[in-house]
Amino acid sequence: MAGTLTVATKELRDQFGSKRFMILFGLVLLLSTLSAYQGVDYIRNNENAGFVNIFSGTQMSFSFIQTMVYFGPLLGLALGFDAINKERATGTLSILLGQPIFRDSVINGKLIAGATALTTLVLGTIGIMSGVSIPMLGFGPTLTEMTKILALTLLTIVYLVFWLSLGILYSVLMKRTATSIMASIATWLTFSIIITILASVVASFLVPLPGGGFRPQVGSGGIRMSEEFIEAMQERNAVMSTINKISPTNLYSEAASDILGVAGGFMMGMGRQEFQRTLTLGEALAANWANIATIVVGLVICFAASYMIFLRSEIRPGD
Amino acid sequence: MTENVIETYSLTKKYGDFTAVDELDMSVQEGEIYGFLGPNGAGKTTTILMLMGLSVPTTGTAMVAGYDIIESSREIRTVASILPEYSSLYGELTAFQNLDYIGRLNDIPKEAREDKIGEMLEIVGMSDWRDEKFEAFSRGMKQRVCIASALIKDPKLVFLDEPTLGLDPMGTKEVRELILRLNREKGMTVVLTSHLLNEVQLTCDRVSIINKGSLVVTETLENLHKQMTGVEERNVEFKLSDVPEGLIGNLEALEGVKQVAQEDDRLYVYAGIESDYNVSKTIVDHGAVILLMRPKEYSMEEIFMKYYEEV
Repeated sequence: MAGTLTVATKELRDQFGSKRFMILFGLVLLLSTLSAYQGVDYIRNNENAGFVNIFSGTQMSFSFIQTMVYFGPLLGLALGFDAINKERATGTLSILLGQPIFRDSVINGKLIAGATALTTLVLGTIGIMSGVSIPMLGFGPTLTEMTKILALTLLTIVYLVFWLSLGILYSVLMKRTATSIMASIATWLTFSIIITILASVVASFLVPLPGGGFRPQVGSGGIRMSEEFIEAMQERNAVMSTINKISPTNLYSEAASDILGVAGGFMMGMGRQEFQRTLTLGEALAANWANIATIVVGLVICFAASYMIFLRSEIRPGD
Repeated sequence: MTENVIETYSLTKKYGDFTAVDELDMSVQEGEIYGFLGPNGAGKTTTILMLMGLSVPTTGTAMVAGYDIIESSREIRTVASILPEYSSLYGELTAFQNLDYIGRLNDIPKEAREDKIGEMLEIVGMSDWRDEKFEAFSRGMKQRVCIASALIKDPKLVFLDEPTLGLDPMGTKEVRELILRLNREKGMTVVLTSHLLNEVQLTCDRVSIINKGSLVVTETLENLHKQMTGVEERNVEFKLSDVPEGLIGNLEALEGVKQVAQEDDRLYVYAGIESDYNVSKTIVDHGAVILLMRPKEYSMEEIFMKYYEEV
């Protein structure tokens, strides 16, 4: 345990001292602060809106949750992708493992340090967002809202640590940091951008639209869609959301939106439609326990795999 | 009777079909400097990694400082240190920070740790660069800090894998002197691998030659020489003022002389020790003056090559 703590302390100092962490933290802070301004604006103009809107955003604006959907994978992966293979490549691993420590201290220490750095990042961001918003609004979150924000914080940390442990897995699996950074970038793009494109392509392939599109029906006052068309669109939607389900980014955004209790729905073909759902924290957790559990299981699987591979790996001549 | 710090029992390591170390049985005595020689890929590094518990043997085992390498490898690392081949410390940390990290990993309390780091930096001559970043150092300076990192824990036993690799002649000499000093002053047992035969000759008490994972020979350097040259017969080099006609024929006719070869003004006489008198006398009787007479020394290289060929 002493070894784990020593490794964690050293790694944490490395993380905080690294330009990599500063850049990512800066990026997230910038986006989040901007979204907080937008949130404040929205709250001022909407009577129903609550303090948590600065995190959930509104339909058209960029929010903290969206920042985490798009940049979360990057944050976690960036802090983990070279955890082990960099030490192997530079020749420090053999000196490190030549010390009287158990091998798991190394990988545990690195996970703890990465998780602590990410926790700092999340707490810092949420803290600064609140700090910017409260003076502008003139009021703070209610107690209920504070518990929601706390739950959001915890969820975000777990979600980021999931990406961290995937990054650590890459660093154990791949010998070269050049390979693991490419794998990380590919993963990031896949889950932040490509998956939605893929989902819509697959959906339109699986569910062809009926010919003719939507027919205006005379005498009903406005444009109506045919029953057939609506059905097809709903079917497509179902396919898309099933595909999206496999993406941790989507699992997170669903759960996070529900926790804040202010979510917008978006129906394909029916235009943007905002519907406020005001769920209590308990209801949100009940509705999203599967999402949250999936993220946690993913985290555990990635880390357990890295742990086992690393413990069985050997220092070979030339390492 | 000195105790053995290392004893291996049919130690074997296979990487797939390739056998890196093959049923190796070797022992290293306490307090000696043990040279571990062999061509690239002979299994030296693999053996050292197994002895430190960084690699697990396929079959066989070994005892290091009284601990089993499979059961208690962590305990071994409390008393033994390794300076791995191509190893390095953290570039973004200073010399002090690097050594401090290693000291912490060895559970050395803060005050003792700082004293120890100061002492080690002094020993390797890096005190003036204590707070400089490791990445800014030259190859030789880096190696000296790495050596200091291996000494922080006051090991009874150190494995130095190619400690002078990539060092200039000055650096090589410094490392060599450091090894001898640690061995004499602290009684540290040193296991050293090197390609610099000259260096091995100057430092090691005993050497082992390993090839294709097997031990070819383990001997003191003196005995290696004896084995090479034979105690009874040897090659003697004579430098003469001139080589008179008929001398070579007469020398070859002497009792005990096996072979005579000429190279300009030099004669190489392969003969038994007891023939020295007769050989010298014959030369002088022919009217030549002996300017130089010396038994031909075999260099480490020649010894090395001979054992490599045997395998």
